[in-house]
Amino acid sequence: MIDIDNVTKQFGEGAAAVQALRRVSLTIPEASFFTLLGPSGCGKTTLLRLIAGFELPTGGDIRLDGQSIGHLPPHHRPVNTVFQSYALFPHMTVARNIGFGLEMQGRKPSDVAATVNKMLTLVRMEEYAARRVDQLSGGQQQRVALARALAPHPKVLLLDEPLSALDLKLRKQMQGELKRLQAETGITFVFVTHDQGEALAMSDQIAVMSAGEVQQVGSPEAIYTRPRSAFVADFIGDTNIVPATLLRYEGGRAVIRFAQGPELCANAASDALAAGPVQVALRPETITLTDAADPAALMCGTVAESTYQGAATQLTVRLETGPEIRVEVTDPPSPGARVGIACDAAMLQVLAD
Amino acid sequence: MAAPGDIPQAGPALQRAQRDRARRRKRMRWGLLAPALVVIGIFGLAPLSIALVYSFLEPGTYGGVTWAFSPEAYVQFLFQRDIFDDTLGFNGAYLRIFGRSFGLALITMVGTLVLGFPVAYFIAARPEQQRNLWLFAVTLPFWTNLLIRTYSMMLIVRDEGFLNGALIWAGVINRPLSIIYTDGAVLLGLVYSYLPFMILPIYASLEKFDFRLLEAAHDLYASRVQMMRHVALPLTRPGIVAGCALVLIPALGAYITPELLGGGKKLMIGNMIALQFGSGRNWPFGSAAALILMSIVLIALLVSLRSGAKPEARHG
Repeated sequence: MIDIDNVTKQFGEGAAAVQALRRVSLTIPEASFFTLLGPSGCGKTTLLRLIAGFELPTGGDIRLDGQSIGHLPPHHRPVNTVFQSYALFPHMTVARNIGFGLEMQGRKPSDVAATVNKMLTLVRMEEYAARRVDQLSGGQQQRVALARALAPHPKVLLLDEPLSALDLKLRKQMQGELKRLQAETGITFVFVTHDQGEALAMSDQIAVMSAGEVQQVGSPEAIYTRPRSAFVADFIGDTNIVPATLLRYEGGRAVIRFAQGPELCANAASDALAAGPVQVALRPETITLTDAADPAALMCGTVAESTYQGAATQLTVRLETGPEIRVEVTDPPSPGARVGIACDAAMLQVLAD
Repeated sequence: MAAPGDIPQAGPALQRAQRDRARRRKRMRWGLLAPALVVIGIFGLAPLSIALVYSFLEPGTYGGVTWAFSPEAYVQFLFQRDIFDDTLGFNGAYLRIFGRSFGLALITMVGTLVLGFPVAYFIAARPEQQRNLWLFAVTLPFWTNLLIRTYSMMLIVRDEGFLNGALIWAGVINRPLSIIYTDGAVLLGLVYSYLPFMILPIYASLEKFDFRLLEAAHDLYASRVQMMRHVALPLTRPGIVAGCALVLIPALGAYITPELLGGGKKLMIGNMIALQFGSGRNWPFGSAAALILMSIVLIALLVSLRSGAKPEARHG
């Protein structure tokens, strides 16, 4: 278990100082696949580098299984990293790359050889042991980098956007592979990515970060269906953020009303919002289209644009109140049609900010 | 699909164009090379051939050569002819001068390596826009003639020089250290003059070096020393080998530095050869000594080049 306790990281001094992390607190559970997700510059890589020990925090502490490690140099932490650039040693063979960490730990050559073989099998690279790393494809280099970082059996494996250099098909394949490796080794994986699809597909838990702060922590489902803020809702998947009026709370749920239609009992990210205008997240695929005159319609508008996407068609509907929202349907009405927007209240999320 | 080797016929116009291009490429290659080849031929190979011929002739009484074949110059390198009975006795004097020169040159090489590698590393680790400034600082000594720099060094290290003055003033010593006209002074001068030749090639290697590899090694439990030994040094080996060659070879033939800082008492090969063409009036022997030095250097260079190329050969 990793405890990130009030960690702050500042680069530079005085007027040029940049706050990369502001009082970040997180608990990363043992043996889980934990993802740090956010746009570039949100501080996710900085946090990873603090856990690895390449940087020291400006304030706060990092604990691994209750022991403070925030002050230790990288080679004294039972934590290994898979780098975005892989950073394989070009003057060594695949096998020596994988064995490097073990060798540096002073393990017996016979132990090193045995573990290297195990790792080669684990990442399915047995035939490549004697190859030079620059003779490998990107996907193969990726596997070697993984094996190299896993070989010393660290308590935590840090992965810094390891899939970003791969093409789409290989990326999908490696996503599955990483999940499998995590389950097989039981090592805590901390995965950094800006790709929300990747995060949703692989993680046990996701921490969404922006501007040096953690916005929300939760399971992929919780993050997707119950975003706390407009930032999270917008960053994870496609979403519509629509204004509504908060009337009151009822049994922990928020009673809201859109431009028209009935009062609805929606999920709320916070139970302390003042009655009045609020923002509601509405996923395009949860929306159903009805007749504009349907009493169940929450708002209505006209179809402005229709984009065929294979499995579904994405429509842009211009609401009568002004904004546009995106809707995903399988039997699209033709552009110009007047439609009503309906949605299951359980799919609505009132955002806190 | 067409089988390999099944290439469609090129039309006559295309054939002509292909020929033209091949010819132009060849002409360009030789055109680029020719001026340098002419210069090297006239001022490099021709004098070398003259030296080779001279080394097998007899010395003239007032310098120059007498046109009579004689291997005497090479014999003289190792043996001494008795004045009375003409028998040959072993003479290690010249061998010792060679040995001393190699010793000094090797120590110079190691000294510049030890001092130069950290400097090259420091520069390569600077932000890109700062590096040129540092490199400029390294090459700054080249803007002043070596002779002048060596003279100024004499001013610093001589008995009444700045160094002794400062040490006496500070109370560290009460009598001047005799530094000048010693091997130490020559060494100091050699290390100083050849340091940039070590720094620059190592820097060129380090500049291409991916510093993230050090981070990876550190992450994989390598200490700082191990990071250097297992990652930084092997990957900058070509630069180190080039730097060593660039320092060792000219240091072996150094003339000005041992002449001035060594006071001409402690001969190095360069001074010894110069002496043969001057007051020694033995041109054949001077030529022979120069050629022997050159052969040794060439062999050493070939060996070092082969060992420098080894890592590639082992993997490739």
